[in-house]
Amino acid sequence: MTAQSLSRPLSSGQMPPARLLRIGATLLLIVAVGLFAAMAPGFATASNLADVAEQSTVLALLAFGMTLVVIAGGPDVVRGGIDLSLGANLGLCDALYAAMSNAGHGDGTSALVAVGAGAAVGLVNAVAIIRFGVPPLLATLASMNACAGLELVVTQNTVLTTDSPLLGIVAGPGALGLSTTDWILVAMTAALLLVMHATPVGLRLRAVGLHPRAARAAGLPVAAMGAGAYVAAGTLAGLAAIVQAARLSGSSPGSGDILLSVVLTSLLGVVFSRRLQPTIGGTLAAVLFIGCLVNGFQLVNVSSYWVNGIEGVLILSVVALRSLLQRPG
Amino acid sequence: MSVAAPGPAALRGIDLARAVRVMLPAVMLVIVACFAAASPTFRSGGNLVHVLINDVTLPALASLGMTLVVSTGGIDLSVGTAADLAALAAALTVTQGGDALLALSAGLAAALCVGVVNAILVAGFGIAPFLATLGILFIGESVQQLATNGGAPIYVVSNFPPLLDRLAHGAMLSIPIPLILLAMLSALTRLLLARTAYGRRAHATGIAPAVARHSGVPVRRVLAITYILSASLCGVAGLLLLATVKSYVPLSGNAFLLDAIGAVFLGTTISRDARPNVPGTLLGVLLFGVLRNGLLLVGWNFYWQQVAVGLLVLVVLGVSFGVRRRGRE
Repeated sequence: MTAQSLSRPLSSGQMPPARLLRIGATLLLIVAVGLFAAMAPGFATASNLADVAEQSTVLALLAFGMTLVVIAGGPDVVRGGIDLSLGANLGLCDALYAAMSNAGHGDGTSALVAVGAGAAVGLVNAVAIIRFGVPPLLATLASMNACAGLELVVTQNTVLTTDSPLLGIVAGPGALGLSTTDWILVAMTAALLLVMHATPVGLRLRAVGLHPRAARAAGLPVAAMGAGAYVAAGTLAGLAAIVQAARLSGSSPGSGDILLSVVLTSLLGVVFSRRLQPTIGGTLAAVLFIGCLVNGFQLVNVSSYWVNGIEGVLILSVVALRSLLQRPG
Repeated sequence: MSVAAPGPAALRGIDLARAVRVMLPAVMLVIVACFAAASPTFRSGGNLVHVLINDVTLPALASLGMTLVVSTGGIDLSVGTAADLAALAAALTVTQGGDALLALSAGLAAALCVGVVNAILVAGFGIAPFLATLGILFIGESVQQLATNGGAPIYVVSNFPPLLDRLAHGAMLSIPIPLILLAMLSALTRLLLARTAYGRRAHATGIAPAVARHSGVPVRRVLAITYILSASLCGVAGLLLLATVKSYVPLSGNAFLLDAIGAVFLGTTISRDARPNVPGTLLGVLLFGVLRNGLLLVGWNFYWQQVAVGLLVLVVLGVSFGVRRRGRE
């Protein structure tokens, strides 16, 4: 039901409520940030906000991958695009990087293996979904299980600590007082924004997701573009794994837990776009919003156990509002 | 995609479709035969009962609920939440000195609450089931963390009510009570889905919601009943888990989620029209149980089991969806 109402472009008569939602969400973001700034003395400092961005980088890279998949697969969560294997893929690539590095391989090889493994998982998803027609939800659920198992095989469910020049650079300071991780976030956001908004790829990907038949009739390589989104998402998970390895100084079990936040932010990001569509910019706003929320709670000493619940309420209010706004008549 | 001669193609389509329907039972037989040849312990009758009680009963109960939900075209990510909250409520009742009946009613009431909230969100607000139940999953996590001070297990070993103990470890006519419970609830669910007006309406809702609504099917009521039934079945699973291990471990019910979704969709492969059905679901759960148990007995560790289950699900789903897609084209 939601799929139909979403895939139909909103007519001009329906624009005001969508704009209302967008403005409301932005206001909520500003109010939350303002509240934290007033209540927690250290919140509004430049170094803390840079920390928020740094802590959000892994989540942002994964959420970008999810956004690409949702754009190329369409917004229906069951039949459309979704990649549940991103969290487990992150854990697997992180473990592989740490294990390779500890086995004495150089940074180049280890990083190549980690990113390659991420892309390979994306390719397996793409083959199952695009070639064999398995619904994305099911295919990526199965590959998530396999990845989580492989991670455990690599790490034997232990913490692998590792140290390498590359990780030192990634975690270390960069230009303008920001860390290299911050710059990775900036660079990836800029690159993806450029690809999605300044090249034909962005519009074509959207066409493939929203109107696959029309896209095929227009001569777009529908299957290849759909598959490309999954491979790109897997590759982003591999890149995120290197950032994660730098932040954790290795790999530790449980990185798959990030999945729910990835789903949340890619959904939440929709409210920051004019047509309630997933966009890279909207996803980044959602990631930073969640990052501020977690960070602010820590600073004002609210138990972190509340965070999940608030994220759940956020999901429900966003989708309830969206379905109310888009219900015809 | 290319235009094939209609005669042979149609013939092949029919044969392949039939082959897909026997695939799951065939895979099951092959796996059982391999393990039986490789491990004498696997062949023993005691092991079969062990698999049924320890690896099958609990996920099977959650999967029965998922079968109903998927029949209506939805998905329930909060199966673990309903099971966990039921176990939590019952455990708290027992530690406060409540007797077995009070604990059981408290547990079922907690599960019902989850079901009612899901029903309101999905049937009332028209929120996509994936998102509604995802939100509940988040909120449930928060509730459990807050109630257990961050995830500490609640042990109820002392003064454990004898009735609860019998529920998990007792036997009637030398058949373990959990198995009797599973058989009864499976038969009921089967009857409900295959032989009642509710079942036909559930399938109609799943196949074509708009057509169902215009034909006078009370779609909202059907959805509401479905989510409440699903949560109740999961509540039974949670209570049985509590009675079996005599402790409540936060978030342990989430382990049912993957098995339930995997089993329901594997089960659709044995149905002529690819619909969720109780026998198929039970076969799916049994396949997971046998696979885990067999791999353990032939000496694979827990981590490889997870990889094997994930890959097997991916392959079975890939083959069945690939064949169906070819049949349609």
